[in-house]
Amino acid sequence: MRIALLAGLVLCCWTVGPASAANGWWTFDRNTNLNSTLTWKWTYPPSPAEYSRSWRGGSGTTMDECEIGRCWLPAGWYAQKGHWDHYDGSKVKGRVWWVQDKTCRDGSTRRTELFVHSEETASNGQSCTSTYDDPFCWERESDYYSNGCIKLARPSPVAGFPNDLGAAHATYHDYGGKSAHGAYDNVDANELYVYS
Amino acid sequence: MTARMTIPLCLFLALSASACGSAQTERGPQPPAPRPPAAYTVGRTLLGLPGHDRVTLATAPVTPLAGWLTPVAVPSPDGRFVAYNAWRELREDDPALSWEDQGIETGDSLARPSIRLHDLRTGKDSAYVVGAFSLAWRGDGAIAYFKGAGHDYRAGLRYVGDVFVRDSVNAPPQRWTEKTDRYVVAGWAGSSLIVYRVRSGETLDVLALDGPGRQRVLASDAGIVAISPDGTSAFVEHGPETGPPRVDLIAISNGTKLASLDLSTVDPAVGVVGYAGDWQGDFVAAPSASGLVVFRVSGGRIDLARTMRAAAGQGVAEPRFVGPSRVTGWTSSSSGGAFVDCDRVSGRCARTVPLPTARGVDGFPAWRRPVYNPSRPQEGEA
Repeated sequence: MRIALLAGLVLCCWTVGPASAANGWWTFDRNTNLNSTLTWKWTYPPSPAEYSRSWRGGSGTTMDECEIGRCWLPAGWYAQKGHWDHYDGSKVKGRVWWVQDKTCRDGSTRRTELFVHSEETASNGQSCTSTYDDPFCWERESDYYSNGCIKLARPSPVAGFPNDLGAAHATYHDYGGKSAHGAYDNVDANELYVYS
Repeated sequence: MTARMTIPLCLFLALSASACGSAQTERGPQPPAPRPPAAYTVGRTLLGLPGHDRVTLATAPVTPLAGWLTPVAVPSPDGRFVAYNAWRELREDDPALSWEDQGIETGDSLARPSIRLHDLRTGKDSAYVVGAFSLAWRGDGAIAYFKGAGHDYRAGLRYVGDVFVRDSVNAPPQRWTEKTDRYVVAGWAGSSLIVYRVRSGETLDVLALDGPGRQRVLASDAGIVAISPDGTSAFVEHGPETGPPRVDLIAISNGTKLASLDLSTVDPAVGVVGYAGDWQGDFVAAPSASGLVVFRVSGGRIDLARTMRAAAGQGVAEPRFVGPSRVTGWTSSSSGGAFVDCDRVSGRCARTVPLPTARGVDGFPAWRRPVYNPSRPQEGEA
Protein backbone atom coordinates (compact mmCIF):
# COMPACT_ATOMS: atom_id res chain seq x y z
CA MET A 1 0.00 0.00 0.00
CA ARG A 2 2.83 2.35 0.94
CA ILE A 3 4.52 1.52 -2.38
CA ALA A 4 1.31 2.24 -4.25
CA LEU A 5 0.92 5.59 -2.46
CA LEU A 6 4.53 6.52 -3.19
CA ALA A 7 4.12 5.58 -6.84
CA GLY A 8 0.94 7.65 -7.00
CA LEU A 9 2.70 10.63 -5.45
CA VAL A 10 5.60 10.39 -7.90
CA LEU A 11 3.19 10.11 -10.83
CA CYS A 12 1.21 13.07 -9.53
CA CYS A 13 4.30 15.27 -9.15
CA TRP A 14 5.58 14.18 -12.53
CA THR A 15 2.38 15.07 -14.34
CA VAL A 16 2.00 18.50 -12.75
CA GLY A 17 5.66 19.42 -13.32
CA PRO A 18 6.26 22.48 -15.45
CA ALA A 19 7.80 20.65 -18.40
CA SER A 20 4.73 18.62 -19.19
CA ALA A 21 2.13 21.28 -18.55
CA ALA A 22 3.55 24.42 -20.01
CA ASN A 23 3.23 25.76 -23.52
CA GLY A 24 6.12 28.02 -24.53
CA TRP A 25 7.42 30.22 -27.31
CA TRP A 26 10.25 32.67 -28.01
CA THR A 27 10.03 36.37 -28.72
CA PHE A 28 12.82 38.62 -29.95
CA ASP A 29 12.59 42.37 -29.50
CA ARG A 30 15.01 44.04 -31.91
CA ASN A 31 16.61 47.08 -30.35
CA THR A 32 20.21 47.21 -31.51
CA ASN A 33 22.50 44.66 -33.12
CA LEU A 34 24.41 44.32 -29.85
CA ASN A 35 21.62 44.65 -27.35
CA SER A 36 18.20 43.24 -28.08
CA THR A 37 16.03 40.98 -25.95
CA LEU A 38 15.29 37.29 -26.35
CA THR A 39 12.42 36.09 -24.18
CA TRP A 40 10.97 32.68 -23.44
CA LYS A 41 7.28 32.97 -22.63
CA TRP A 42 5.00 30.24 -21.39
CA THR A 43 1.51 29.56 -20.12
CA TYR A 44 -0.19 26.71 -18.33
CA PRO A 45 -3.23 26.10 -20.54
CA PRO A 46 -6.06 26.66 -20.18
CA SER A 47 -4.97 29.57 -17.98
CA PRO A 48 -4.10 32.58 -20.16
CA ALA A 49 -1.59 33.92 -17.61
CA GLU A 50 1.83 34.39 -19.24
CA TYR A 51 5.19 33.97 -17.56
CA SER A 52 8.53 34.92 -19.05
CA ARG A 53 12.27 35.10 -18.67
CA SER A 54 14.48 37.34 -20.79
CA TRP A 55 18.12 37.58 -21.81
CA ARG A 56 20.21 40.00 -23.76
CA GLY A 57 20.58 38.84 -27.34
CA GLY A 58 22.53 40.17 -30.29
CA SER A 59 21.67 39.80 -33.97
CA GLY A 60 23.26 40.89 -37.23
CA THR A 61 25.64 43.76 -37.90
CA THR A 62 23.18 46.02 -39.75
CA MET A 63 19.49 46.85 -39.50
CA ASP A 64 18.31 46.20 -43.05
CA GLU A 65 16.56 42.90 -42.49
CA CYS A 66 16.88 42.02 -46.20
CA GLU A 67 20.68 42.02 -46.22
CA ILE A 68 21.70 38.36 -46.43
CA GLY A 69 24.53 37.38 -44.11
CA ARG A 70 24.65 40.78 -42.42
CA CYS A 71 21.40 41.80 -40.84
CA TRP A 72 19.20 40.76 -37.96
CA LEU A 73 16.23 38.45 -38.36
CA PRO A 74 13.20 39.71 -40.28
CA ALA A 75 10.04 40.41 -38.31
CA GLY A 76 7.24 37.86 -38.05
CA TRP A 77 6.44 34.41 -36.69
CA TYR A 78 8.91 31.57 -37.18
CA ALA A 79 8.42 27.85 -36.78
CA GLN A 80 11.24 26.03 -35.06
CA LYS A 81 12.88 23.37 -37.22
CA GLY A 82 15.10 21.73 -34.67
CA HIS A 83 17.02 21.91 -31.42
CA TRP A 84 20.41 20.40 -30.60
CA ASP A 85 22.56 20.23 -27.49
CA HIS A 86 25.69 19.32 -29.44
CA TYR A 87 25.23 20.73 -32.92
CA ASP A 88 28.39 20.48 -34.97
CA GLY A 89 28.05 22.89 -37.87
CA SER A 90 30.99 24.72 -39.38
CA LYS A 91 30.08 28.08 -37.88
CA VAL A 92 27.33 27.24 -35.43
CA LYS A 93 27.97 24.67 -32.69
CA GLY A 94 26.71 23.46 -29.32
CA ARG A 95 23.29 24.31 -27.91
CA VAL A 96 21.30 25.75 -30.80
CA TRP A 97 17.77 26.24 -32.04
CA TRP A 98 17.17 26.29 -35.79
CA VAL A 99 14.27 28.36 -37.13
CA GLN A 100 12.56 28.50 -40.50
CA ASP A 101 13.54 30.67 -43.46
CA LYS A 102 11.78 34.02 -43.62
CA THR A 103 10.95 36.51 -46.35
CA CYS A 104 12.04 40.00 -45.30
CA ARG A 105 10.10 43.23 -45.62
CA ASP A 106 10.94 43.71 -49.32
CA GLY A 107 8.58 40.82 -50.03
CA SER A 108 11.24 38.96 -52.01
CA THR A 109 14.51 38.20 -50.25
CA ARG A 110 14.54 35.05 -48.12
CA ARG A 111 16.73 34.85 -45.09
CA THR A 112 17.91 31.31 -44.45
CA GLU A 113 20.20 29.27 -42.17
CA LEU A 114 18.90 31.09 -39.08
CA PHE A 115 19.71 29.91 -35.56
CA VAL A 116 19.63 30.95 -31.92
CA HIS A 117 23.08 30.10 -30.61
CA SER A 118 26.20 31.28 -28.77
CA GLU A 119 29.92 30.84 -29.36
CA GLU A 120 30.79 27.43 -27.95
CA THR A 121 32.13 24.11 -29.13
CA ALA A 122 29.93 21.16 -30.04
CA SER A 123 30.65 19.72 -26.57
CA ASN A 124 29.46 22.98 -24.95
CA GLY A 125 33.01 24.05 -24.09
CA GLN A 126 35.13 27.04 -25.00
CA SER A 127 38.01 27.12 -27.44
CA CYS A 128 39.93 30.29 -26.59
CA THR A 129 43.34 30.21 -28.17
CA SER A 130 43.92 33.23 -30.38
CA THR A 131 44.82 36.77 -29.48
CA TYR A 132 41.69 38.39 -30.81
CA ASP A 133 38.59 36.44 -31.73
CA ASP A 134 37.88 32.75 -31.65
CA PRO A 135 34.64 31.65 -33.27
CA PHE A 136 33.83 29.26 -30.44
CA CYS A 137 34.86 31.40 -27.49
CA TRP A 138 32.77 34.21 -26.01
CA GLU A 139 35.44 36.83 -25.35
CA ARG A 140 33.91 40.23 -25.75
CA GLU A 141 30.97 42.53 -26.43
CA SER A 142 31.35 42.25 -30.19
CA ASP A 143 30.55 38.55 -29.97
CA TYR A 144 26.91 39.62 -29.83
CA TYR A 145 27.24 40.50 -33.52
CA SER A 146 26.17 37.80 -35.96
CA ASN A 147 25.64 37.27 -39.65
CA GLY A 148 21.91 37.10 -39.04
CA CYS A 149 21.29 34.74 -36.15
CA ILE A 150 20.31 35.54 -32.57
CA LYS A 151 23.26 35.15 -30.22
CA LEU A 152 23.33 34.70 -26.44
CA ALA A 153 26.35 35.12 -24.19
CA ARG A 154 27.96 32.48 -22.04
CA PRO A 155 30.99 32.48 -19.73
CA SER A 156 34.47 31.66 -21.00
CA PRO A 157 37.91 31.36 -19.43
CA VAL A 158 38.80 34.80 -20.75
CA ALA A 159 35.63 36.80 -20.02
CA GLY A 160 32.93 36.85 -17.39
CA PHE A 161 29.75 37.17 -19.40
CA PRO A 162 26.55 35.77 -17.85
CA ASN A 163 25.47 32.26 -18.65
CA ASP A 164 22.48 33.39 -20.70
CA LEU A 165 22.70 30.47 -23.10
CA GLY A 166 22.62 28.01 -20.21
CA ALA A 167 19.73 29.82 -18.57
CA ALA A 168 17.74 30.02 -21.80
CA HIS A 169 18.38 26.35 -22.51
CA ALA A 170 17.26 25.29 -19.03
CA THR A 171 14.21 27.53 -19.11
CA TYR A 172 13.25 26.22 -22.53
CA HIS A 173 13.28 22.62 -21.33
CA ASP A 174 11.71 23.36 -17.94
CA TYR A 175 8.83 25.45 -19.21
CA GLY A 176 7.25 24.03 -22.29
CA GLY A 177 10.04 23.58 -24.80
CA LYS A 178 9.94 20.40 -26.83
CA SER A 179 12.04 17.66 -25.24
CA ALA A 180 13.11 16.20 -28.60
CA HIS A 181 16.53 16.92 -30.01
CA GLY A 182 17.72 17.04 -33.61
CA ALA A 183 15.91 18.22 -36.71
CA TYR A 184 12.17 17.93 -36.40
CA ASP A 185 10.21 15.92 -38.95
CA ASN A 186 7.59 18.60 -38.88
CA VAL A 187 7.80 22.23 -37.94
CA ASP A 188 7.39 22.78 -34.23
CA ALA A 189 4.87 24.61 -32.08
CA ASN A 190 7.60 26.30 -30.02
CA GLU A 191 7.59 29.29 -32.31
CA LEU A 192 9.62 32.46 -32.36
CA TYR A 193 8.08 35.88 -32.84
CA VAL A 194 10.37 38.69 -33.96
CA TYR A 195 8.92 42.12 -33.30
CA SER A 196 9.16 44.72 -36.09
CA MET B 1 -3.83 105.20 -51.24
CA THR B 2 -1.91 108.24 -49.86
CA ALA B 3 1.70 109.19 -50.66
CA ARG B 4 2.57 108.41 -47.04
CA MET B 5 1.53 104.80 -47.61
CA THR B 6 2.63 104.48 -51.23
CA ILE B 7 6.29 105.40 -50.74
CA PRO B 8 7.02 102.88 -47.94
CA LEU B 9 5.12 100.19 -49.83
CA CYS B 10 7.18 100.75 -53.01
CA LEU B 11 10.34 100.79 -50.95
CA PHE B 12 9.35 97.46 -49.33
CA LEU B 13 8.53 95.86 -52.68
CA ALA B 14 11.81 97.06 -54.16
CA LEU B 15 13.80 95.69 -51.25
CA SER B 16 11.93 92.38 -51.39
CA ALA B 17 12.63 91.99 -55.09
CA SER B 18 16.27 92.80 -54.52
CA ALA B 19 16.53 90.32 -51.66
CA CYS B 20 14.95 87.58 -53.75
CA GLY B 21 17.30 88.26 -56.61
CA SER B 22 20.25 88.14 -54.28
CA ALA B 23 19.15 84.81 -52.85
CA GLN B 24 18.80 83.36 -56.33
CA THR B 25 22.29 84.45 -57.24
CA GLU B 26 23.78 82.86 -54.11
CA ARG B 27 21.93 79.55 -54.66
CA GLY B 28 23.54 79.19 -58.06
CA PRO B 29 22.42 76.71 -60.67
CA GLN B 30 20.11 73.94 -59.54
CA PRO B 31 21.78 70.51 -59.26
CA PRO B 32 20.82 68.13 -62.06
CA ALA B 33 17.84 65.94 -61.38
CA PRO B 34 18.79 62.56 -59.88
CA ARG B 35 19.09 59.80 -62.45
CA PRO B 36 18.94 56.00 -62.30
CA PRO B 37 21.89 53.70 -63.12
CA ALA B 38 22.98 53.18 -66.72
CA ALA B 39 20.88 50.02 -67.13
CA TYR B 40 18.17 48.88 -64.77
CA THR B 41 14.92 47.00 -64.32
CA VAL B 42 11.58 48.24 -63.09
CA GLY B 43 9.40 45.20 -62.54
CA ARG B 44 9.81 43.25 -65.79
CA THR B 45 10.81 46.27 -67.83
CA LEU B 46 14.49 46.59 -68.68
CA LEU B 47 15.78 50.05 -69.56
CA GLY B 48 19.05 51.64 -70.55
CA LEU B 49 20.74 48.83 -72.49
CA PRO B 50 22.74 50.26 -75.40
CA GLY B 51 20.69 50.09 -78.58
CA HIS B 52 17.53 49.03 -76.76
CA ASP B 53 15.23 51.74 -75.53
CA ARG B 54 12.98 49.46 -73.54
CA VAL B 55 12.82 45.66 -73.25
CA THR B 56 9.95 43.73 -71.74
CA LEU B 57 11.05 40.52 -70.05
CA ALA B 58 8.83 37.49 -69.60
CA THR B 59 8.81 37.93 -65.85
CA ALA B 60 10.29 40.20 -63.22
CA PRO B 61 13.94 39.54 -62.35
CA VAL B 62 14.26 38.75 -58.63
CA THR B 63 16.81 36.96 -56.45
CA PRO B 64 15.03 35.74 -53.30
CA LEU B 65 17.73 33.26 -52.27
CA ALA B 66 20.64 35.56 -53.04
CA GLY B 67 19.44 39.07 -52.22
CA TRP B 68 22.01 41.38 -53.78
CA LEU B 69 24.96 39.03 -53.38
CA THR B 70 24.58 38.70 -57.15
CA PRO B 71 23.05 40.93 -59.84
CA VAL B 72 19.43 40.30 -60.68
CA ALA B 73 20.19 40.38 -64.41
CA VAL B 74 23.45 40.34 -66.37
CA PRO B 75 23.99 41.33 -70.00
CA SER B 76 26.23 39.04 -72.02
CA PRO B 77 29.60 40.50 -73.05
CA ASP B 78 28.60 40.50 -76.73
CA GLY B 79 25.36 42.32 -75.99
CA ARG B 80 23.24 39.58 -77.53
CA PHE B 81 21.56 38.25 -74.37
CA VAL B 82 20.41 39.23 -70.95
CA ALA B 83 20.40 36.38 -68.44
CA TYR B 84 18.23 36.98 -65.41
CA ASN B 85 16.95 35.33 -62.26
CA ALA B 86 13.28 34.38 -62.02
CA TRP B 87 11.19 32.89 -59.26
CA ARG B 88 7.90 31.03 -59.51
CA GLU B 89 6.07 30.71 -56.24
CA LEU B 90 4.44 27.30 -55.89
CA ARG B 91 2.79 27.97 -52.60
CA GLU B 92 1.97 31.20 -50.86
CA ASP B 93 4.16 31.87 -47.83
CA ASP B 94 2.92 34.79 -45.74
CA PRO B 95 5.97 36.38 -44.06
CA ALA B 96 3.89 37.46 -41.07
CA LEU B 97 2.94 33.87 -40.24
CA SER B 98 5.03 30.87 -39.31
CA TRP B 99 5.08 27.83 -41.54
CA GLU B 100 3.18 25.90 -38.91
CA ASP B 101 0.38 28.46 -38.89
CA GLN B 102 0.09 28.12 -42.67
CA GLY B 103 0.10 24.33 -42.68
CA ILE B 104 3.47 24.22 -44.40
CA GLU B 105 5.41 21.09 -43.52
CA THR B 106 9.02 20.13 -43.93
CA GLY B 107 9.70 19.22 -47.53
CA ASP B 108 6.77 21.10 -49.04
CA SER B 109 7.70 22.78 -52.32
CA LEU B 110 7.49 26.54 -51.92
CA ALA B 111 9.03 27.97 -55.07
CA ARG B 112 11.07 27.18 -58.18
CA PRO B 113 13.96 29.48 -59.12
CA SER B 114 15.23 29.61 -62.67
CA ILE B 115 17.66 31.47 -64.87
CA ARG B 116 16.06 32.86 -68.01
CA LEU B 117 17.68 34.03 -71.19
CA HIS B 118 16.33 36.94 -73.16
CA ASP B 119 17.64 37.16 -76.71
CA LEU B 120 17.86 40.86 -77.50
CA ARG B 121 18.10 40.16 -81.22
CA THR B 122 15.03 37.97 -81.60
CA GLY B 123 13.08 38.92 -78.48
CA LYS B 124 12.81 35.25 -77.47
CA ASP B 125 12.66 34.82 -73.72
CA SER B 126 13.05 31.27 -72.43
CA ALA B 127 13.97 29.28 -69.34
CA TYR B 128 17.71 28.55 -69.55
CA VAL B 129 18.21 26.46 -66.41
CA VAL B 130 15.32 25.49 -64.14
CA GLY B 131 16.12 25.10 -60.44
CA ALA B 132 19.01 27.54 -60.67
CA PHE B 133 19.90 31.07 -59.62
CA SER B 134 22.87 33.48 -59.70
CA LEU B 135 25.06 33.64 -62.81
CA ALA B 136 28.18 35.23 -64.25
CA TRP B 137 29.26 35.88 -67.84
CA ARG B 138 32.96 35.70 -68.62
CA GLY B 139 34.43 38.02 -71.27
CA ASP B 140 34.72 35.16 -73.79
CA GLY B 141 31.06 34.21 -73.42
CA ALA B 142 31.39 31.38 -70.88
CA ILE B 143 28.52 31.36 -68.40
CA ALA B 144 28.52 30.08 -64.82
CA TYR B 145 25.56 29.45 -62.54
CA PHE B 146 24.42 27.68 -59.39
CA LYS B 147 21.98 24.82 -59.91
CA GLY B 148 20.10 23.16 -57.08
CA ALA B 149 20.19 19.41 -56.56
CA GLY B 150 16.42 19.55 -56.99
CA HIS B 151 14.30 22.02 -58.88
CA ASP B 152 12.30 23.31 -55.96
CA TYR B 153 13.05 25.37 -52.92
CA ARG B 154 11.45 23.35 -50.11
CA ALA B 155 10.43 24.22 -46.56
CA GLY B 156 12.91 23.17 -43.92
CA LEU B 157 15.51 21.86 -46.37
CA ARG B 158 18.74 23.60 -47.37
CA TYR B 159 18.68 24.48 -51.06
CA VAL B 160 21.98 22.82 -51.94
CA GLY B 161 23.48 22.20 -55.33
CA ASP B 162 26.59 22.84 -57.42
CA VAL B 163 28.17 25.46 -59.62
CA PHE B 164 28.29 24.68 -63.34
CA VAL B 165 30.17 26.37 -66.16
CA ARG B 166 29.43 26.29 -69.88
CA ASP B 167 31.98 27.53 -72.39
CA SER B 168 29.17 29.19 -74.30
CA VAL B 169 25.43 29.46 -73.95
CA ASN B 170 24.77 26.20 -75.77
CA ALA B 171 27.83 24.23 -74.60
CA PRO B 172 27.37 21.31 -72.19
CA PRO B 173 27.63 22.18 -68.47
CA GLN B 174 30.65 21.14 -66.41
CA ARG B 175 30.44 20.88 -62.64
CA TRP B 176 33.14 23.02 -61.01
CA THR B 177 32.38 22.61 -57.30
CA GLU B 178 33.89 19.72 -55.35
CA LYS B 179 31.02 19.23 -52.98
CA THR B 180 27.30 19.91 -53.11
CA ASP B 181 26.52 22.84 -50.83
CA ARG B 182 24.87 26.24 -50.86
CA TYR B 183 26.60 28.56 -53.33
CA VAL B 184 25.90 31.92 -54.92
CA VAL B 185 27.81 32.88 -58.05
CA ALA B 186 29.26 36.38 -57.83
CA GLY B 187 31.46 36.98 -60.90
CA TRP B 188 34.53 36.10 -62.88
CA ALA B 189 37.97 37.42 -61.97
CA GLY B 190 39.94 36.54 -65.08
CA SER B 191 39.66 32.78 -65.45
CA SER B 192 38.74 32.23 -61.79
CA LEU B 193 35.09 32.10 -60.83
CA ILE B 194 34.27 33.88 -57.58
CA VAL B 195 31.41 32.36 -55.62
CA TYR B 196 29.99 32.54 -52.14
CA ARG B 197 29.52 29.48 -49.98
CA VAL B 198 26.66 30.07 -47.53
CA ARG B 199 27.20 28.24 -44.26
CA SER B 200 25.01 27.89 -41.16
CA GLY B 201 24.04 31.21 -39.70
CA GLU B 202 24.33 32.79 -43.19
CA THR B 203 28.09 32.91 -42.83
CA LEU B 204 29.62 33.81 -46.18
CA ASP B 205 32.89 32.41 -47.49
CA VAL B 206 34.41 33.77 -50.68
CA LEU B 207 35.74 30.97 -52.88
CA ALA B 208 37.75 30.98 -56.08
CA LEU B 209 36.98 28.15 -58.50
CA ASP B 210 39.82 27.63 -60.96
CA GLY B 211 38.28 24.74 -62.88
CA PRO B 212 36.35 21.52 -62.29
CA GLY B 213 37.06 20.35 -58.72
CA ARG B 214 39.63 23.10 -58.11
CA GLN B 215 38.38 25.41 -55.40
CA ARG B 216 40.08 27.64 -52.83
CA VAL B 217 38.83 29.78 -49.96
CA LEU B 218 39.84 33.36 -50.68
CA ALA B 219 38.26 34.86 -47.56
CA SER B 220 36.11 33.52 -44.71
CA ASP B 221 33.34 35.52 -43.07
CA ALA B 222 33.58 38.03 -45.89
CA GLY B 223 31.72 39.72 -48.72
CA ILE B 224 32.97 40.78 -52.14
CA VAL B 225 32.75 44.50 -52.74
CA ALA B 226 34.24 44.41 -56.23
CA ILE B 227 36.69 42.72 -58.56
CA SER B 228 39.54 44.89 -59.85
CA PRO B 229 39.24 46.10 -63.47
CA ASP B 230 42.10 43.80 -64.52
CA GLY B 231 40.56 40.83 -62.71
CA THR B 232 43.64 40.12 -60.58
CA SER B 233 42.40 41.18 -57.17
CA ALA B 234 39.24 41.45 -55.12
CA PHE B 235 38.15 44.09 -52.65
CA VAL B 236 36.46 42.26 -49.76
CA GLU B 237 34.75 43.42 -46.60
CA HIS B 238 34.68 41.90 -43.13
CA GLY B 239 32.01 42.84 -40.61
CA PRO B 240 32.58 43.47 -36.91
CA GLU B 241 31.66 39.97 -35.70
CA THR B 242 35.21 38.69 -35.97
CA GLY B 243 37.15 41.83 -35.03
CA PRO B 244 37.22 45.48 -36.05
CA PRO B 245 35.42 45.82 -39.39
CA ARG B 246 37.83 46.15 -42.27
CA VAL B 247 38.26 46.01 -46.02
CA ASP B 248 41.02 43.97 -47.65
CA LEU B 249 42.56 43.79 -51.07
CA ILE B 250 43.11 40.11 -51.94
CA ALA B 251 45.13 38.64 -54.81
CA ILE B 252 42.91 36.27 -56.78
CA SER B 253 45.79 34.00 -57.80
CA ASN B 254 46.84 32.95 -54.30
CA GLY B 255 44.69 34.74 -51.73
CA THR B 256 47.51 36.98 -50.49
CA LYS B 257 46.35 40.05 -48.61
CA LEU B 258 47.77 42.99 -50.58
CA ALA B 259 46.36 45.82 -48.45
CA SER B 260 43.93 46.37 -45.61
CA LEU B 261 42.08 49.23 -43.95
CA ASP B 262 40.71 49.03 -40.41
CA LEU B 263 37.35 50.81 -40.65
CA SER B 264 37.39 51.68 -36.96
CA THR B 265 40.22 54.12 -37.74
CA VAL B 266 38.37 56.21 -40.35
CA ASP B 267 35.33 58.50 -40.38
CA PRO B 268 32.83 56.85 -37.99
CA ALA B 269 30.06 57.51 -40.52
CA VAL B 270 31.46 54.62 -42.56
CA GLY B 271 30.73 52.12 -39.78
CA VAL B 272 30.59 48.84 -41.64
CA VAL B 273 30.89 48.31 -45.37
CA GLY B 274 28.61 46.08 -47.40
CA TYR B 275 29.12 43.75 -50.36
CA ALA B 276 28.20 44.23 -54.04
CA GLY B 277 29.90 47.50 -54.92
CA ASP B 278 31.80 48.72 -57.96
CA TRP B 279 35.40 49.42 -59.00
CA GLN B 280 36.38 52.10 -61.53
CA GLY B 281 40.01 53.07 -62.07
CA ASP B 282 41.53 53.54 -58.60
CA PHE B 283 38.19 53.91 -56.86
CA VAL B 284 35.89 51.43 -55.17
CA ALA B 285 32.32 52.28 -54.19
CA ALA B 286 30.61 50.31 -51.43
CA PRO B 287 27.48 50.46 -49.29
CA SER B 288 28.20 51.79 -45.81
CA ALA B 289 26.40 52.68 -42.61
CA SER B 290 25.96 56.29 -43.76
CA GLY B 291 24.86 55.33 -47.24
CA LEU B 292 27.79 54.98 -49.61
CA VAL B 293 31.54 55.21 -49.34
CA VAL B 294 34.30 55.54 -51.94
CA PHE B 295 37.80 54.16 -51.32
CA ARG B 296 40.96 54.89 -53.26
CA VAL B 297 43.10 51.84 -54.03
CA SER B 298 46.57 52.68 -55.26
CA GLY B 299 50.21 52.12 -54.40
CA GLY B 300 49.42 49.08 -52.28
CA ARG B 301 47.16 51.12 -50.01
CA ILE B 302 43.47 51.52 -49.34
CA ASP B 303 42.35 55.01 -48.29
CA LEU B 304 38.96 56.47 -47.57
CA ALA B 305 38.19 58.94 -50.36
CA ARG B 306 34.60 60.03 -49.71
CA THR B 307 31.58 59.27 -47.60
CA MET B 308 28.16 59.97 -49.04
CA ARG B 309 25.08 60.26 -46.92
CA ALA B 310 21.73 58.84 -47.87
CA ALA B 311 18.58 59.76 -45.95
CA ALA B 312 18.59 58.50 -42.37
CA GLY B 313 17.79 54.84 -42.11
CA GLN B 314 17.96 54.35 -45.86
CA GLY B 315 20.17 51.40 -46.72
CA VAL B 316 21.74 51.65 -50.17
CA ALA B 317 22.67 48.54 -52.14
CA GLU B 318 24.65 47.76 -55.31
CA PRO B 319 26.34 51.14 -55.83
CA ARG B 320 27.51 51.68 -59.40
CA PHE B 321 29.77 54.38 -60.75
CA VAL B 322 28.10 56.44 -63.46
CA GLY B 323 30.68 58.60 -65.21
CA PRO B 324 33.30 60.44 -63.18
CA SER B 325 31.06 62.28 -60.75
CA ARG B 326 28.14 60.09 -59.74
CA VAL B 327 27.41 56.88 -57.88
CA THR B 328 23.98 55.32 -58.00
CA GLY B 329 22.47 52.63 -55.82
CA TRP B 330 19.05 51.41 -54.86
CA THR B 331 17.03 51.23 -51.71
CA SER B 332 13.96 49.21 -50.87
CA SER B 333 10.67 49.69 -49.16
CA SER B 334 7.57 47.58 -48.79
CA SER B 335 6.13 49.24 -51.92
CA GLY B 336 9.14 48.45 -54.11
CA GLY B 337 12.50 49.97 -54.87
CA ALA B 338 13.88 53.42 -55.60
CA PHE B 339 17.24 54.53 -56.93
CA VAL B 340 19.62 56.78 -55.05
CA ASP B 341 21.87 59.11 -57.03
CA CYS B 342 24.88 60.50 -55.16
CA ASP B 343 27.23 63.31 -56.18
CA ARG B 344 30.85 62.35 -55.50
CA VAL B 345 31.85 66.00 -55.08
CA SER B 346 29.17 67.23 -52.71
CA GLY B 347 28.54 63.85 -51.07
CA ARG B 348 24.81 64.46 -51.31
CA CYS B 349 22.32 61.82 -52.44
CA ALA B 350 18.81 62.14 -53.85
CA ARG B 351 16.12 59.57 -54.65
CA THR B 352 14.59 58.93 -58.02
CA VAL B 353 11.76 56.59 -58.94
CA PRO B 354 11.63 55.93 -62.68
CA LEU B 355 8.29 54.65 -63.97
CA PRO B 356 6.63 55.57 -60.68
CA THR B 357 3.32 54.02 -61.64
CA ALA B 358 4.85 50.63 -62.52
CA ARG B 359 3.15 47.73 -60.86
CA GLY B 360 4.75 44.58 -59.57
CA VAL B 361 4.13 41.19 -61.09
CA ASP B 362 3.73 37.69 -59.66
CA GLY B 363 3.09 39.08 -56.20
CA PHE B 364 6.34 41.04 -56.03
CA PRO B 365 6.51 44.82 -55.66
CA ALA B 366 7.85 46.82 -58.64
CA TRP B 367 11.54 46.25 -57.97
CA ARG B 368 14.10 48.68 -59.30
CA ARG B 369 17.52 47.09 -59.59
CA PRO B 370 20.63 47.88 -61.61
CA VAL B 371 21.62 45.56 -64.47
CA TYR B 372 25.36 45.03 -64.74
CA ASN B 373 28.15 42.55 -65.17
CA PRO B 374 30.52 42.49 -62.16
CA SER B 375 32.97 40.13 -63.89
CA ARG B 376 36.39 41.49 -64.84
CA PRO B 377 38.19 42.20 -67.02
CA GLN B 378 35.68 43.55 -69.45
CA GLU B 379 36.33 44.67 -72.99
CA GLY B 380 38.90 47.46 -72.96
CA GLU B 381 39.96 46.83 -69.35
CA ALA B 382 42.36 43.91 -69.68
